[in-house]
Amino acid sequence: MKKTLATFLLGTVLAGTAGRAGEAVKPCCADDVKGVTQAAQLSSRSIYQADSTWTDDAGRPVKLASLKGRPVVLAMFFTNCEFACPIIVGNMMRIQEALPPESRANARFVLVSFDSERDTPAALRIYRERMRLGTAWVLLHGQPDDVRELAMVLGVKYARDSRGQFAHSNLITVLNSAGEIAYRLAGLESDISAAEQAVIAAAR
Amino acid sequence: MTRHLTAALVLGACLAGPAAAGQPPAGMALVPEGDYAPLFRAKDDPATVRVPAFYIDVRQVTNADFLGFVRANPNWRRSQVSPLFAESGYLGDWSGDLELGPRAPSDSPVVLVSWFAARAYARWRGLRLPSTAEWERAASAGFTSANGAADPAYREAILAWLSVPTPPVLPAAGSGRPDVYGVRDLTDLVWEWVDDFNAMMPGGDSADNSGLDRDLVCGAGGANARDFTDYPAFMRVAFRSSLGAAYVVPNLGFRCAKSL
Repeated sequence: MKKTLATFLLGTVLAGTAGRAGEAVKPCCADDVKGVTQAAQLSSRSIYQADSTWTDDAGRPVKLASLKGRPVVLAMFFTNCEFACPIIVGNMMRIQEALPPESRANARFVLVSFDSERDTPAALRIYRERMRLGTAWVLLHGQPDDVRELAMVLGVKYARDSRGQFAHSNLITVLNSAGEIAYRLAGLESDISAAEQAVIAAAR
Repeated sequence: MTRHLTAALVLGACLAGPAAAGQPPAGMALVPEGDYAPLFRAKDDPATVRVPAFYIDVRQVTNADFLGFVRANPNWRRSQVSPLFAESGYLGDWSGDLELGPRAPSDSPVVLVSWFAARAYARWRGLRLPSTAEWERAASAGFTSANGAADPAYREAILAWLSVPTPPVLPAAGSGRPDVYGVRDLTDLVWEWVDDFNAMMPGGDSADNSGLDRDLVCGAGGANARDFTDYPAFMRVAFRSSLGAAYVVPNLGFRCAKSL
């Protein structure tokens, strides 16, 4: 019986967080040591501790930690997505447009594909051209294991169906310059103002 | 006599052939290729999924096993683990960073470990976590039949476990009755991590067309339950879908798997 109760309690906790679209996450505990070079130093909450190597749409290897020092707006998606992903990418474009010029120049917009099989760097390149994504956009292909780890770090759920389509959480994550989660925009929320403010704050 | 001997040799050769090619590593058992019927699936998905043969640990990873891992990997010790990878309470039943203590007997399954920690352990051993499909496929076997659903003793053991509280100190891993593949305690000692537990959608059964789920999860409307009477399977889905990868739970452990 205790097990049952624990399950439902856990369920409630999760439903609580998932339900609150646009919850602000307090930037936490940057434990940078003064005087130590920042390059190798990652805060204990930085998602850049997940040390996978990705490939961008130009075929170059990319470490997420190379985005350190910039505000990052990140979402997981796949290019064959018929429903939610265009809305997610559209919201990210609107965030980009809404930013004041200095934050916009500094911020990076990162799309990581669930679809390791079909979203090759070349396929991502075609997607970039089709969507007219500028130089601030980073499109990443990864190995299935690394995709799963990143999804776990971000709290994204996903499953592949027999047609090769993915059911997935709809989530845009704003990372501060240390790579810590500063803000999560869950769902297909059309109000992007809080996400925009989070990017501006992260750019400071 | 000669004929018997010849027959025995031929039989022996037949048995030795495939077995030698796929001898399970020490402490692991072979689960042969077969079908897995997911409890929930998208509406156009087939009712069963083919699961290739794989090896799985006969028992859960124990406290002693995990102690070896944290000795070799200081960044996974209780005092040093990143909060990104394990919430507070990680290995909380141990007495210290490298001391098990009375609440964590060395041969009991290690619990209060996050998915990240379980996965790091598996990699350290050159193994991996089982997928949901693999784990469920293994758990579908009973004590006497590959079809556990037709094995009343097996079904009763699962339900019995679900109906009692977790003891404050867990019994030894691997002491339960082996199933037909030789795997023990899959469903009646602790819950177990699977590699893709996050494939379970929140509120996956959105038969009510709930607006929230449709908005939060792309494709959430497609899932339908296979068998509404399979209570343990529902419990596992509920449990997995409630987890986060950094969570630690007092009755959640893991075992490792390996591809052939």
